[in-house]
Amino acid sequence: MIETLIFWALCLGFAASFVVQVWRRLRLVARAPGRLGFDRPALRVRRFLRDVVFQSRTIAGRPLAGFAHALVFWGFVAFAGYSSTEFLYGLGLADLRRTPFFEAYAVALVPFATACLVGILYLLVRRVFARPAGLGDHVSMESVVIAIFIAALMITFLLRFGLADGSVAGRVNWWTHMLVILAFLALIPASKHLHLVLSPFTVLLKSPVLGTVPNLDFEKEEVGTETLKDLSRKQVLDAFTCVECGRCQDNCPAFGSGKVLNPKKLILDSQDALLEGALDRRVVEVYDEGVLWQCTTCGACESQCPVGIEHLPLIIGARRGLVSNGEAPDYLGNVYNQLERRGNIWGLTYEARQKFIESAGLEIFDAAKHEYLVWLGCAGAFEADFQKALRALFDILRACGVRFGVLARERCTGDVAKRSGNEYMFQELATQNIEDFRASGVTKILTSCPHCLKTIGDDYRRFGFDADVVHSSVLVAEITRGLEPNVATVEPVTFHDPCYLGRYAGHVDEPRELLERFGGSVREPDRTRTNPFCCGAGGGLLFEEKEEGTRISDVRFKQLQATGAGTVVTACPFCSIMLKGAQASAQADTEFVDLMAFVNGRLQKAADPSAGAPSASAGAAPPAAP
Amino acid sequence: MKIAVCVKQVVSREWQLRVDESNTWIRDQDASYELNEPDAYALEEALRLKERHGGEVVVCSAGPARVSQVVREALARGADRALLVEDDRLVGADAFATASALAAALKDERCDLVLTGLQSDDSGFAQTGVVLAETLGLPHATIIMEVQVADGALRVKRELEGGWFQWIAMPMPAVLTIQSGINQLRYATLKGIMAAKKKDVKKVAAPDLAPQHEIVRLYFPEKAKATRLIDGAPADAAKELVRLLRDEARVIS
Repeated sequence: MIETLIFWALCLGFAASFVVQVWRRLRLVARAPGRLGFDRPALRVRRFLRDVVFQSRTIAGRPLAGFAHALVFWGFVAFAGYSSTEFLYGLGLADLRRTPFFEAYAVALVPFATACLVGILYLLVRRVFARPAGLGDHVSMESVVIAIFIAALMITFLLRFGLADGSVAGRVNWWTHMLVILAFLALIPASKHLHLVLSPFTVLLKSPVLGTVPNLDFEKEEVGTETLKDLSRKQVLDAFTCVECGRCQDNCPAFGSGKVLNPKKLILDSQDALLEGALDRRVVEVYDEGVLWQCTTCGACESQCPVGIEHLPLIIGARRGLVSNGEAPDYLGNVYNQLERRGNIWGLTYEARQKFIESAGLEIFDAAKHEYLVWLGCAGAFEADFQKALRALFDILRACGVRFGVLARERCTGDVAKRSGNEYMFQELATQNIEDFRASGVTKILTSCPHCLKTIGDDYRRFGFDADVVHSSVLVAEITRGLEPNVATVEPVTFHDPCYLGRYAGHVDEPRELLERFGGSVREPDRTRTNPFCCGAGGGLLFEEKEEGTRISDVRFKQLQATGAGTVVTACPFCSIMLKGAQASAQADTEFVDLMAFVNGRLQKAADPSAGAPSASAGAAPPAAP
Repeated sequence: MKIAVCVKQVVSREWQLRVDESNTWIRDQDASYELNEPDAYALEEALRLKERHGGEVVVCSAGPARVSQVVREALARGADRALLVEDDRLVGADAFATASALAAALKDERCDLVLTGLQSDDSGFAQTGVVLAETLGLPHATIIMEVQVADGALRVKRELEGGWFQWIAMPMPAVLTIQSGINQLRYATLKGIMAAKKKDVKKVAAPDLAPQHEIVRLYFPEKAKATRLIDGAPADAAKELVRLLRDEARVIS
């Protein structure tokens, strides 16, 4: 009886402590603006199963630690019914422990408990002795205590089978088990272990599309995140969910090249400032100086985060607040003026584009005549190297009988404006381009620029524009699938996945399929496929000339060089500009070639026996247009 | 300090120029327009002077109704209010007519400083600021590269030919015509665009407009290609060729 009363008192005390601490955080979430999104529920549920239930994102980048975590997680889930039963008993409400079902359940828990114990001991050793960089400079004592708690829970559970229930040792064991659970409850809210409670929600609430940054509503006078109180509900929830695992930090190209920006610290800085109640603090006072402008929007942090945190809306939101107040860096101010006056990022007049259209023999898009509208983009209109890549694409399309045209006039899609926080400029450009698209009657758009792909293919959907947008690598992989070019030589190449193609759009197989088909033997660099290392150009940083630390492009170039392939194949005009810059400063003789130029070069060679290569096989006849 | 900035709306560089039927003006029905670039630098300089010395920036423009676009743009970038002389007769007006319209708007404003762009991207007379100064009875300086204000007077840096500069001390009020590239232009911010909607644009009636010149003919540069054969003995012909290359073609010295 006394035991029951004491247990009641303890439960109430610890539960109150839990509720008070969680309440303090949830109140901050509740008062934040913005709605929590739940569009495309099927996709979200599937991701929940994958990332929460099966722990795939936790395991993916760190197989051992991730699997150990999964063991602990599954152990916790398995124990839910057991702990509830023990609490009901302890509180004197019901004693279900004597039922045969419960006995069987307890026995079934033994492998879970053992696995959980092994998992947590591995994690404890890793944290205290191996100390991976992503976990921070010093050992978190709190994590050590939690790990010991979990181990104690499992050990006390296993001991119950050897101790008589009514014995003193049995009671001590029971009390130890229950007290640890209660202490755990009190420790959770103020620690990273709050992710136990919040992460299932944040994973469900994370946007299904990487880098989703909702449009600002100018009618409601939204200008972006100026102070902490402008953080959206999901952003506040994210701040309290961070588990501090450091996957974002490990994968961030800015952090990895010696810059101050650390996505993990950004989230924790938000958390600290929110808990201090500094809701009126300006974003530049919350985060380290300059870090908001060091992000290339490559999306590595957001895509690697196992607990569903969205870093991009946070960073771009804060950029918006600064840009709306005239506090963008000078180089961006310059780009904005060029976008405003000339409609492109380089401020050039469109005569150059006109000349390119004429010299490449392009037709103006006519929905009755053409299947695809080829979107040239700023680089296609003005950048000589990328124009070569586009000419190669045109050759391939013509050879395969694809009918295509271009718009008489284009403006920048608004990618740089969107990603750097100039929402007004983005919406101006987007609405005007959409007007032109609609007037042209286009239903299929083809682009060779992954940034245009994301902007037209995803961002424009929020304006109700839903044409199919396809990257050249995907379409060309498809239309050349019937070809069996007789490739005489196989050349080792490496492929640099553009962030906006590989990570954002998930197109990692098509470029490789093309390379293999046309005589490239792909050597994968460090950081590849859906988790590439950025070239450093995204988010407007193409225009930043004073890059702190090592240049991101130099780091990436070294990774590509290390494959030993003399040829780097790119599929994005910006990657190409950045990496060629890095190659020039490294004075390396690495060759760069755009994927389309590579494919077209091999096609031409195969079709032209005089070039020394054996003639194309019969199967190489171009198929009819799809 | 009250600073007025005179801005002009010109056809945008993107727009394909076409001459109209009378061959005296462009066929501008479907033209797109933008703020005259040197005026953008004048506006930026005015905003910077205001940030340094306080006061007010008044943007002033003269032209048909479409001109309100560049006035809004100037307000979005930070000008405090606007004066607009709206009159269809100002389409293609010469520097005298434009200057008299601007003077009508500015005469009662008692500005400390009036800035204009050095010249316009369309007509390129570089006269409007100068004629405006005369009409307002103010001193002026042209091709300004730097503006310093101290003790109610001006020190300005002028660009001369051949990479030379000249510093001039002059009294205020005055009119300055600003050279492009004098500063780095700010961009229009969302806050500025929102605020511009609430700023005051005062319409001023145009005075009698008396154009001082008339465009007789407007035409694209005519490409000419001519081949000249030099007769005579090879040695003489060579000498003549050198003389022509030096004195007429001026490709050698």
